[in-house]
Amino acid sequence: MTTIDRRPTPVTSIAHHTMPQPGPIARLFEPRRIGKMSPMTAFVVYGGLLFWTVIVVFPLYWLLVTSVKLPIDVNEGPRYLPFIDFQPSAHAWRYVFIDIGGDTFRPYVNSLIIATVSTVLAMLVGSMAAYALVRIEYRPSLGSIVMFLACLAAAIVAVVAAGVPWWIAAVGLVAVFLLLLRAIGRRFQRRLGNADIQFWIISQRILPPVVVALPIYVMFQNLGLLNTRTAFIITYATINLPIVVWLMHDFFASIPIDLEESAQLDGASRYRIFFDIVLPLAKPGIAATGLLVLVLAWNEYLLALFLSGADVQTMPLLVAAQNATRGPQWWYMSVLIVIMIVPVVTIALFLQRLIARGLLVGSVKG
Amino acid sequence: MRVTLDRLTKRFGTFTALHALSLTIEPGEFLVLLGPSGCGKTTALRMVAGLETVSEGAIQIGERDVTEVLPKYRDIAMVFQSYALYPHKTVAENIGYPLKLRRVPDPDRDQAVRQVAEQVRLDQLLDRYPRQLSGGQRQRVALARAIVRRPTVFLMDEPLSNLDAKLRVHMRAELKHMQHELGITTVYVTHDQVEAMTLAHRVAVLNNGRLQQLGTPREIYGDPANLFVAGFVGSPPMSFVDGALQSGRFVAPGADLAVGGSFDVRDAVLGIRAEDCQVVPRGAGKVRATVYSHELIGDHTLVMCQIGADSDASHTIAVKMDKAFEAEFGAEIDIDMAPAGLFIFDKKDGSRVRLPSA
Repeated sequence: MTTIDRRPTPVTSIAHHTMPQPGPIARLFEPRRIGKMSPMTAFVVYGGLLFWTVIVVFPLYWLLVTSVKLPIDVNEGPRYLPFIDFQPSAHAWRYVFIDIGGDTFRPYVNSLIIATVSTVLAMLVGSMAAYALVRIEYRPSLGSIVMFLACLAAAIVAVVAAGVPWWIAAVGLVAVFLLLLRAIGRRFQRRLGNADIQFWIISQRILPPVVVALPIYVMFQNLGLLNTRTAFIITYATINLPIVVWLMHDFFASIPIDLEESAQLDGASRYRIFFDIVLPLAKPGIAATGLLVLVLAWNEYLLALFLSGADVQTMPLLVAAQNATRGPQWWYMSVLIVIMIVPVVTIALFLQRLIARGLLVGSVKG
Repeated sequence: MRVTLDRLTKRFGTFTALHALSLTIEPGEFLVLLGPSGCGKTTALRMVAGLETVSEGAIQIGERDVTEVLPKYRDIAMVFQSYALYPHKTVAENIGYPLKLRRVPDPDRDQAVRQVAEQVRLDQLLDRYPRQLSGGQRQRVALARAIVRRPTVFLMDEPLSNLDAKLRVHMRAELKHMQHELGITTVYVTHDQVEAMTLAHRVAVLNNGRLQQLGTPREIYGDPANLFVAGFVGSPPMSFVDGALQSGRFVAPGADLAVGGSFDVRDAVLGIRAEDCQVVPRGAGKVRATVYSHELIGDHTLVMCQIGADSDASHTIAVKMDKAFEAEFGAEIDIDMAPAGLFIFDKKDGSRVRLPSA
């Protein structure tokens, strides 16, 4: 038998209240069961998804349809359904692949090489920088940076105004800066941190690219690299670097530091930890960031306009070139865009599995 | 190997996490650093591991000064609270990773991994990934990875705190057995005084970055150096009553006890453990109290008794009684205290007032 030890009267006199049952209208706005959506929520959610799907998918459909239309079908108002609205024709495909086959193929290969190599380069350098910003504390002194900029300005003035050879100015710049650093460098108290460095890096991307287009053009002209893939690769890797640093920073920060400390005690060096532990765990981040950067490099138009010549063109330029003296050739353009989309969509589908999967499950706690 | 900490100090900015900790850990000893969170115990461990720089003082392993040696050259293995298993490596790769970094040839490595896995009963799970393992299995992988290369020193940072209560008791025994078999000097950090009592050869109790007491579990429990140690060690914790010491008598509302000696301490604290008290009928004991609550633990009953009128915790005394004990809430009783179990502390600085009989 259980005896319940209890006081005879309740301590307080708070009344008992129940929840009122909802009316028929209110019932539309609340779920029938736990774990389900209310009817109204379901309507809004699925309606919204359907609407958005149409917005996303329709342009792709339009592209495919246009690529098999004759010019007359394009020009004579909207026609939507092949075989019903119009008779499809492969003329545009034949033209792009056979008639001007070589001129399609070369920019395509250029685009593939430039986008891939610049992405790999940006990812490698950018993720190392991001990792360093996550795990190493930097405290550059503001005064030293200002001092360096002043020396640099002086050197530029010397070259431009006084005609000093540039290499003498460069040596002088380094020498004077190092001397000043030793002499008064220790006086500077204001120090910057990792967040400042990170912002400086991303600020490179806030700048509109058109601002730097001309300087980049002049620079590669002087280097004799205009109209080469190298120029494209260097430029794209550089402009995409800030994005890589910015995105990878957060992925690296989410890796538990315990893993790296454990590897450190197991006997791994910093580079070993980066390649053995950190990079494999950041795979979803690498996939997502890599895809974004790849697409940016793949689609880049403005700087390509400046860097390209007769030999090295990229796909966006070729597409734009279809809007020529005879007016926009929508049918050729559509074919080119379709073949331009294919590799990116393929890679995206392939990487999507990786991006969605949480890789950190099971590392710490449970 | 012997580990010596010499006036080890750690400062984070203006905050001092560890004040001149000096300790000598004998070869093969199991030393537990015990204290509440933020007491500096983990900081001390991380300094021994080389994961934290030393602000002042020195660390020696054997005869070697390792104060500024890189972690990987200290020959130390550490088990983290989170286990820190590499999620993208299988159990075998996890255990073998330290050997791989030491360029141990593959056949030797496989053999060592297999041998250690057998030792911690993981030999059936070598191809699994950490996410496919239970908490206890992950814990064993972390242990296996630590012992596979026979380090000179083992460091453990609350390795059992993520396990459920039952598994923790089991792993505790395994840990102790393994440490005994391997005979490797071990430093173990915990906030759980039961773990400290059961595992340690010696316990170092830390609070606010300072060493409070260093001794065997028996000494720590039976002869606490100060109020903090007395209150931190033991389950239930020692009960305290505020009062005054007047020429050898401890006086508090509802209590007047002869404790021996002839000291006068205006603000004194009386400490007594639950097993040194008895609930007796009113009039038969020295301290008047009422029953506040009672809890049947299983093999005994814990009776919380209230001294005086208010319900301040410092006036509640836990008494350990037989499992058959029964009482009404609010029953008026007396508490009898064994003279040998009485501890007196100075409330001002928490220091122990040594009684002549003790």
